[in-house]
Amino acid sequence: MGAALGFRKLWLVVERDLRMFIQYKFLLILRGIWFVAQVTLFGLIVNKMVQEAAAEVSINYFQYYVAGVTIITLYSTAMFIGYDIFEEAEHGVFEYLLTLPVSRRELVMGRSIGGGLRSFIYVGPLLLVVLFILGVSNPIYLLVAFASLFLFAFGVSGMSITIAVAMKSGDKYDILIGVLDALIVRLSTTMYPTFYMQRAMPAYASIANFNPLTFASDLFRWGTGVEGALQFSPLLAILGLFIFFFAFTFVGVVFYERRLEGGGWQ
Amino acid sequence: MKAILHIIEYDFRNFFRYRWFVIGLIAMNLADLFISAVVFTQMASTSIVVNYFRFFAPGLAVVGLFASAFMIGREINMEVRREIHHYLLSLPMTRTELAIGRVLAGGLRGMLYMTPLLITNFLVLHFPTLPQLLLILLTLLLLAIGISGVSISIAVSTTSFEKFVTARGVVYYMLFFCSSVFYPLSVIQVLSAKGLAPLVAFAQVNPLTNGSDLIRSFLLNSPEYVFSPLMLLNVAVFSVIFAFLATFAYSKILLRH
Repeated sequence: MGAALGFRKLWLVVERDLRMFIQYKFLLILRGIWFVAQVTLFGLIVNKMVQEAAAEVSINYFQYYVAGVTIITLYSTAMFIGYDIFEEAEHGVFEYLLTLPVSRRELVMGRSIGGGLRSFIYVGPLLLVVLFILGVSNPIYLLVAFASLFLFAFGVSGMSITIAVAMKSGDKYDILIGVLDALIVRLSTTMYPTFYMQRAMPAYASIANFNPLTFASDLFRWGTGVEGALQFSPLLAILGLFIFFFAFTFVGVVFYERRLEGGGWQ
Repeated sequence: MKAILHIIEYDFRNFFRYRWFVIGLIAMNLADLFISAVVFTQMASTSIVVNYFRFFAPGLAVVGLFASAFMIGREINMEVRREIHHYLLSLPMTRTELAIGRVLAGGLRGMLYMTPLLITNFLVLHFPTLPQLLLILLTLLLLAIGISGVSISIAVSTTSFEKFVTARGVVYYMLFFCSSVFYPLSVIQVLSAKGLAPLVAFAQVNPLTNGSDLIRSFLLNSPEYVFSPLMLLNVAVFSVIFAFLATFAYSKILLRH
């Protein structure tokens, strides 16, 4: 009975975040344009520029990039929950949420799950287009990759909430997320294979080997069959994503439960 | 004129207050140059770009200029949301002076931020002659004022921070991906074959293309990049259009909030 009630409360929090996300029609359309611009402009043009290098490591760079940009989109939409938190803090909604008969843990976990789930729902239609471009060679592999991407999305959403609650300042959050984006995306295999990172600067390749975006994009490429430059065993990548998910969804809860109270939002 | 100078001073003080934001921007720009450009140097075909790092360095100055000139919009959007603009509108100056001051301040702050990136270019590539330097600075100033205008126009037209952030991203990607900032104009021709010829035409008239190619024409010593007065004219037209649009939008739309 108690567990069922707890789950119901958790679901209410998740449902609220999903409903809020659907309200952002303008934002969702703009994000879609952003994705299309990434694929049809940057992807096509850079593909032309790096064709010889891509052939050297047996990949079609356009397909490689499309898979990578899908992961970047999943990452950036999952991060957006942090902006929601600041909007709520600015309008005093955050304090209202704290007065609800929902425990802090349920609230934070629900938001983390809601943030991940809504990013996955948003990326869903884009994924269909991407799968049309990339094709599917093995449905089982694809399902495993999708399950891992769920872990990734929940982990990113949890990370966004952790940073937002730790900062308690919209400006600082925006800056830190900008810097984090710049580093986490560029030091991953979303845009280029490890082989070339290694050749350019071995340290970059070493960092990329521990980057959750590398795990997610390599797994997605493995799932769709765009696997010319896969560096890891899929099991290792799944383990990496599980650790990332666990750290920010469960261990992170303990940290932000302590930071939720006391106001101080800027 | 004095009122405009006061507004510029106000915005410069704000700019230094956001020092962490500026540090964040610098980190992003450096990541572009020292991570992405370094890796792409290994990947780019030498028949298209001889050395991608050298090619991209002038583009980085334009990227930095864009990002910092766009910051004024972020502040104005915040002022609108927090209703600080009521205080600004109560100051003893005309709406037009206030609006012109903000547009100019945005552009000048962009120039200030971009200066170290431009100096990096001179060190890495080649020092220009004095007339070349003056032309580069004039072009970049006009570009910065135009970008500041775009940013202010978006800021006063969006009611929430998310919308502003997303619109900023879309404008950024459309202007940058359809320009020669990241890749040569010759490679962009590939879009024609995919039925996207209008984007190729847009890339050719894009002020960011003209701004970055103008710097390249003086710093790369390559026959592919030759200075043309049309480059300067293109940037000047962009600057005038968006400076006027932002002045009009800021002074009119703010009154509606």
